[in-house]
Amino acid sequence: MVAERRERALVRDAQGGSAEAFEQLFRSHWARAYRAALLVVGDSAAAEDIAQESFLAAVRALDRFDRRRPFGPWLHRIVVNRAIDWARARALRRENFGDGGPEPAAREREPSEHADELALGLAHLHPEQRAVIVLRYLLEYTPGEIARMLDLPRGTVNSRLRRGLDRLQEAVEGERT
Amino acid sequence: MKRAFDEMPIDADAEERAWAVVREAYRRREPVAPGSPIRPVFVLAAAAVAAVAAAGLSAPGRAVVNAVRKSIGIEGAQPALFKLPAPGRLLVSGAGGTWVVAADGSTRRLGAYSQASWSPHALFVVASTGNELATIEPATGRVHWQLARPAIGFPRWGGTRADTRIAYLTTDRLHVVAGDGTGDRRLRPSARVAPAWRPGTSRHVLAYVDIRGRLTIMNADRGVATRLSRPYRGVRDIAWSADGRTIALAARDEVVLFDLATGAAHVVRVGGVRVLAFAADGRLALMRGNGVLLVTRGHVRSLFSGPSTLAGLAWSPNGRWLLSSLPAADQWVFVQTRGGHRILAVSHIRRQFGSEPSLDGWAPEA
Repeated sequence: MVAERRERALVRDAQGGSAEAFEQLFRSHWARAYRAALLVVGDSAAAEDIAQESFLAAVRALDRFDRRRPFGPWLHRIVVNRAIDWARARALRRENFGDGGPEPAAREREPSEHADELALGLAHLHPEQRAVIVLRYLLEYTPGEIARMLDLPRGTVNSRLRRGLDRLQEAVEGERT
Repeated sequence: MKRAFDEMPIDADAEERAWAVVREAYRRREPVAPGSPIRPVFVLAAAAVAAVAAAGLSAPGRAVVNAVRKSIGIEGAQPALFKLPAPGRLLVSGAGGTWVVAADGSTRRLGAYSQASWSPHALFVVASTGNELATIEPATGRVHWQLARPAIGFPRWGGTRADTRIAYLTTDRLHVVAGDGTGDRRLRPSARVAPAWRPGTSRHVLAYVDIRGRLTIMNADRGVATRLSRPYRGVRDIAWSADGRTIALAARDEVVLFDLATGAAHVVRVGGVRVLAFAADGRLALMRGNGVLLVTRGHVRSLFSGPSTLAGLAWSPNGRWLLSSLPAADQWVFVQTRGGHRILAVSHIRRQFGSEPSLDGWAPEA
């Protein structure tokens, strides 16, 4: 609740022209936006572009933003929809995930085995399945919220989650064996 | 799963690069009073100005960028592609199929292909979609031959008028087939980077990137590698100069120019380059993020920066114009690089081609 109130204050100040407030919003949301994009598209350069463009879109729409709503879901909606579009376009052009996994980003620290397994497992899913799994289990939105973010019926979200998880489990077990 | 997400590595430089662009966009924005409408013209202008300010441009680059600021998505963009600014024929492909655009702006759809490239003398087109490779006459759309292979991508045609070869990738392999569709051979494992035929030679010399990220130059007829570089991380593109003396490689952190005669490698410390394109006179264009850089005799300068991410590069055959695409704005941008600094923007590309197409090459008139 305190965090929500603080974020609302940051958005209000950013709308009023406070660069410091806007930087705090950027810094607190960049990593999650970038990681969400990376898991959907599996390409670090594209994830960087998508996250950056999403923030630019946020800047352009900042003055229209309703401060009663939380900033994170609004941004994540932009990020994930752009990432799905990018992944679909890439699939059309047959630029598949190379050898089965996302290109590693420059590493600030060593990733855990879990992170590697997750990234490799997600690469086996359709972009739409990756998106709902990222939103549900990593960004922790409810199926109802995801349905609104992606303009999908709730039943579609649930079935994509179920099928995606089944496929992810198979893929991760396959990687282990 | 949540723990794995939080443990995913983050490129700290990426955050700073993005912040530099986003900060400028924020700084240049003009807060509006509550309830007043946002003017689209201003929104686009803010983004364009932001990208310009973030680019850190050289003086010649700034002159061109100033022109971009005035034209891309702001004012002066033509509502449709009425004609090309230079002679030649443009090949484009996407979800709406493969198209040839003539200099007068007329278009011909060659079929439902998703990737394509010109033959060495632009007499034919090789195109692929899914599991099919086809060669097509651009003037009539007539298909000469087809070949079925799994997950075909990056078809590239090379050779002389008398004897040509087509290289392409399948899921995991480099293939080469003769220009008449015979003798298809499955060669070596390859990274998902378009192979490139060396121009200006009667031999069939092919460059590709192997799965370890090494630039490999091979005699395609004998299947023998003649040159091999050290491995590079995150290779996105390779391109030959028109005289076949230099080959450029775009890796994650640098662009490397290899001199074929001496074997020397000249490193240009520019990271994040996604597309390379040599002009006929040897100038090399590098596309990364929102901008294009120009390398001339080892000297790098900014050519222009757009308001959003660019996609693809194509030089006009006379080397005066460079074409790129702004998918987010549904626009193409023609940048004059010689004889002036004009910028021409064209809107509604998706409406004309059924999708945002990739730029597959700008060839001279047949």
